[in-house]
Amino acid sequence: MGTFNLEIVTPTRILEAGDVSYVRCPGTDGSFGVMASHRDAVISLGVGEIKVTQGGKDIFFATSGGFAEITSEKVQLLVETVESAKDIDTSRAEASISRAKGRMTSKEDVDDTRAEAALQRAVNRLKVSKR
Amino acid sequence: MANLKDIRDRIKSVTSIQKVTKAMKMVAAAKMRRAQENMEQARPYSSRLSEIIQNLLPEVDRDLLPLLEVRDVNRVAFVVVTSDKGLAGSFNSSVLRKAHLEIDEIGKENVDVFCIGKKARDYFKTRGYNIVETHVDFWSDLNFNHAIKIGNGIVSHFLNGHVDEIRVVYNEFVNVATQMVLTEKLLPLEYEEGEGAVADRLYEPSKDEIVKSLVPRHLNVQMWKYLLESFASEQAARMVAMENATSNSEDMIKDLTLEFNKARQAAITTEMLEIVSGAEALN
Repeated sequence: MGTFNLEIVTPTRILEAGDVSYVRCPGTDGSFGVMASHRDAVISLGVGEIKVTQGGKDIFFATSGGFAEITSEKVQLLVETVESAKDIDTSRAEASISRAKGRMTSKEDVDDTRAEAALQRAVNRLKVSKR
Repeated sequence: MANLKDIRDRIKSVTSIQKVTKAMKMVAAAKMRRAQENMEQARPYSSRLSEIIQNLLPEVDRDLLPLLEVRDVNRVAFVVVTSDKGLAGSFNSSVLRKAHLEIDEIGKENVDVFCIGKKARDYFKTRGYNIVETHVDFWSDLNFNHAIKIGNGIVSHFLNGHVDEIRVVYNEFVNVATQMVLTEKLLPLEYEEGEGAVADRLYEPSKDEIVKSLVPRHLNVQMWKYLLESFASEQAARMVAMENATSNSEDMIKDLTLEFNKARQAAITTEMLEIVSGAEALN
C-alpha cells in the first residue's frame, strides 16, 4: 500500500507525522479518508477526530477545525488546534463541558452559539481521549 | 574637589545599577529567543492560509462575506501595538509617534483606537483620543487565545459598521539590531490579482464555504503574527538598550574610580604637607 507525507500545521507548532498510509479527517460535510495519490483538493474541516494510520498502527487526534490541503507531494492539515489522544487533559475537558452547559442554561445574556461551540469542542476532546 | 565618601557612594550605586541592567539584558535575550521560535512556528500556517486565500479570492463574489466588503472610508480604526513596560529604547516611542502622525492626518475625531499594551493606553488616554478597547497585562503569558480575543473585538467593530478600515501599527522584527515600525491594513482584505485558483483542484464543500471559514482564521493568525513580531521586537530593543546601559555604566565606573584615586592622593599629599610643616614649626 502506498504511503504519503502528512504534516499537521497549527499556528503554534508543526507536527510532522511523516509517511502515513491513511488519514481520516472530520470534514464539515462528513468525515472523509485520504490515501496515497489522492487528487489535489482543499477541504474544510470541522470539530472532530483525526485518525492517522502509520505502519499499521492507528493514532488519534482531536481538532477544532481548519483545512486539509492535498497535493501530489503531501497532505497538510491546517488546523487551529490539535491534541493527540494521549495528551488530552480529561479533567479540563470535563470542566469546560460543565462550564459551557452552565452558560447555556443561565438566564444572563450570553452568546449561545459560542457556548455551544465550546461544548462541542470539549465533548469531542473527551471522546477522542477515550481512544 | 568632591569628597571621598561621595565618590565611593556613587561608585557603589552605579555598580548595583549595572548589575540590574546586566540581568535585564539576559532576561530579554532569553525571551527574545523564545519569541523568535514562536514566529518560526507560526510562519508555515499563516503563509499556507494566505496562499489559499490569494488563490480563491479573485474567484468569489465580495458580497459573499461582510468581512470582504469594501466601503467608502469615513472612519478608520488604528490598532496600536506597544509593550506594557518601558526601558526598551525607542521601541514604544517610535510606534506611538508614527501612529499619532497618521491619526492626525485623518483627523482625531474620525479615528477609533485599539490600544495593545499599557504604553499605548497611557499615551492616547492623556491626549483624549477615542479609545475603543485596551488590552494590557497579557504579554507575560502570550498565547494564541489572546490573538483570537483581540481579533474578535476588532473584527466586530468593523462588522458593526463603526469603521470602514482597520490599520495596525506595530514593530516588525527584522533582526536583533533592527526593528521597523510598519502600518498594515488589516481590513478590508486586499489581494493583488493573482493567477487565480489552481486548475483541477477539488474544493469541498465549495469555494464560497471555504472562503467563509478561511477569512476569520486568517485574521486571527494575522493578529497572532502582529503580537509575536511586536513581542520579539520589544525584547530585542530592550536587550540592546540594556547592553548600552551596561557599557555606559562600565565607563562611568572607570571615570569615577580615577577621580576617587586622584582625590585620595590629594588628601594624602595635603596631610603630609601638614605634618611636615607642623614638624618644622616645632624646630
